[in-house]
Amino acid sequence: MSGEALPQDAPRQEVSRRGGSLRGAGPLRRGDARADLGFAGVPTARDGGADTMRPGALRGAARGRDLDGLAHTLFRRLSPVIAAVVLLTQVVIAWVNYGDQIRLTGERAQMMADMTARALARPDWPASFGPQLQALTLDPAFRFAVLRDASGAVIGRLGEEPRGRSFERIQVSSEIEAGNRDGSGPQPAGSLTLVLSAEALRANAEKQVVMVLGASLALILAFALALRLAVARHVLAPLARLLAAMGRVERKEWVTVDLAGHRRPSREIADVSAAFNRMVEGLRSGDEARHLLAELERAHARLAEANGLVMESLHYARRIQRAVLPGPGSLRESGLEVAVLWEPLHVVGGDYFWIEEIDGLRIVVVADCTGHGVPGAFLTLIVATALDRILHDRGLRRPDAILAALDGTVRARLRQDREESDLSDEGLDCGICVLDRAAGTLDFAGAGLALTVLSADGVARIKGRRHGLGYRPTGREEPFSTVSLPLGDGATYYLMTDGVSDQMGGTPRRLLGYRAVAEILARHRGLPLDGQMAALEAALAAHRGAEPRRDDMTLVAFRPEAG
Amino acid sequence: MDRIQIPATSRSPLVDFDFPAGRLLLRGESYPEDAAAFYGPLLQALRGCLEGEATPLTFEVALSYFNSSSAKALMNLFLPLEDAAEEGREVTIRWLYAAGDDTIAEAGEDFSADFSHARFEMVQETAA
Repeated sequence: MSGEALPQDAPRQEVSRRGGSLRGAGPLRRGDARADLGFAGVPTARDGGADTMRPGALRGAARGRDLDGLAHTLFRRLSPVIAAVVLLTQVVIAWVNYGDQIRLTGERAQMMADMTARALARPDWPASFGPQLQALTLDPAFRFAVLRDASGAVIGRLGEEPRGRSFERIQVSSEIEAGNRDGSGPQPAGSLTLVLSAEALRANAEKQVVMVLGASLALILAFALALRLAVARHVLAPLARLLAAMGRVERKEWVTVDLAGHRRPSREIADVSAAFNRMVEGLRSGDEARHLLAELERAHARLAEANGLVMESLHYARRIQRAVLPGPGSLRESGLEVAVLWEPLHVVGGDYFWIEEIDGLRIVVVADCTGHGVPGAFLTLIVATALDRILHDRGLRRPDAILAALDGTVRARLRQDREESDLSDEGLDCGICVLDRAAGTLDFAGAGLALTVLSADGVARIKGRRHGLGYRPTGREEPFSTVSLPLGDGATYYLMTDGVSDQMGGTPRRLLGYRAVAEILARHRGLPLDGQMAALEAALAAHRGAEPRRDDMTLVAFRPEAG
Repeated sequence: MDRIQIPATSRSPLVDFDFPAGRLLLRGESYPEDAAAFYGPLLQALRGCLEGEATPLTFEVALSYFNSSSAKALMNLFLPLEDAAEEGREVTIRWLYAAGDDTIAEAGEDFSADFSHARFEMVQETAA
């Protein structure tokens, strides 16, 4: 790697030099130990000094080669000690051995000298020492022998007189005691000095030293191999697996380390690995929870957006539906106090009402089309159009005639009269009041929707026909009929859809019911009609409690104003 | 003809149409968004059953609330039953309502007017 070619030479060279040593070029220097762990050798200037650890540091350290450092360190620390101990013990043994050999050889030499001296112990020995002296040369270690008489003069010698270092030879001497011819006791007559060579012993000792060195070397090699194998199997491989797993965890791959298998980690590493696995499991579940939460939030945002669009659209539709209903102005016409409660369940709905004065007649219509929400709202538009034609183009004024015409128009519009039609089975409940103030009468006709009259006599309920309008014909529909009532002073009239009385709630949990609604209205009979509506709404809400409403609700209340 | 069992939801009733045993049951509240979709298959099944042997049939209706679409659907279920009764089959409608529930009782009375051959029983259930 040529650091010179790069613009930032100084740090690069530093790194590349360390990198070279990390790649197992040789034993680690002391200063490189920290670099091996991936902490040092990171110039803080390049990092901005903010992080204490590079993101890739673990990955870098996970390269298997870097881990050889442990085996190297153990080997470097332990092998000299082992070598020194082995060497020392072997040398001591060899030294003791050598000493023993020297001693034994010395004793042997002494014995040989004594035996020869004893053999020579005759009066005439100075003349006949030849064969005995010659016998000494049979010993391969023999080097030199000299005979002296009592006065110390040399009588005879054999071999070469040794020169040089004294540790290469063993020298002993023995007194020769010759008996006299007169038979008196032995007298010192001379001495025999024997020199044996110690070279064989020395060679032997040298050989032993060489063997000791060789054995030590072999031992060190065996130790190094065994250490390396054990460290590789039980420390380095598990560590490499652990570090590889850490690297993947850094990339959010939630892998754990296998603790079984033939490369069983050492106990400490197994403990660390187990802790790591637990940490990964924790991270994984946390990460999954975070992902799920994010997913949920995204889904929620999408739903909120979709819902927002739908609601926007519905509110627009509500404006259109309101435009089709009578405006506030028509409710405040002279001669009639009117209050309206119109509350679709879902922004728009299937409830419809109409109030209009035509030819001196006051016409009040309340209709409850099948369904609520958008489908109900579609039907109200059909009803509105049909009613407009019936009242203005066809000029019908009798409530039963209006109902019959409405029934026919809806059926025709929804094509319910055709035999093959399997599409629509929709319809509506409808109640119509026609007030003739001049004649002082109120004509009512209903189809599934009743008229409630609250007067001094109490509550009266005038039901119309049981079946509603529209729907596919069943052949069992009753004919429409009009009920004519005197327009009483002080009486209040109510046309309401079933959504008003069908309020689930209370204990025992059941529908509020028509009778209860009439009682609420009667309780507030003294209030202006607007006040009655508000009181009724509050009472309905109280009955519902936590229950949701079930249907659209509409109530039109009216009473002739006095005078 | 198999048995149809549908668990109740907040907007639709429990359905247990045990055709082999001749016992049909609706219990709960009924205001599904699309009543035709909910009751259409039940009506088909009922018609299929009525084409078979003229065994006695009992239809129990125990609804605590139903909207007008469901009322229409009920009517559609009742019509073939009344026709079958007219042809000689033994048909009993049991209209169950909670004590004091005027709305449901009244609705039952209204329905009963449609039957002249099938037996229509009003059954008041004491509050559980």
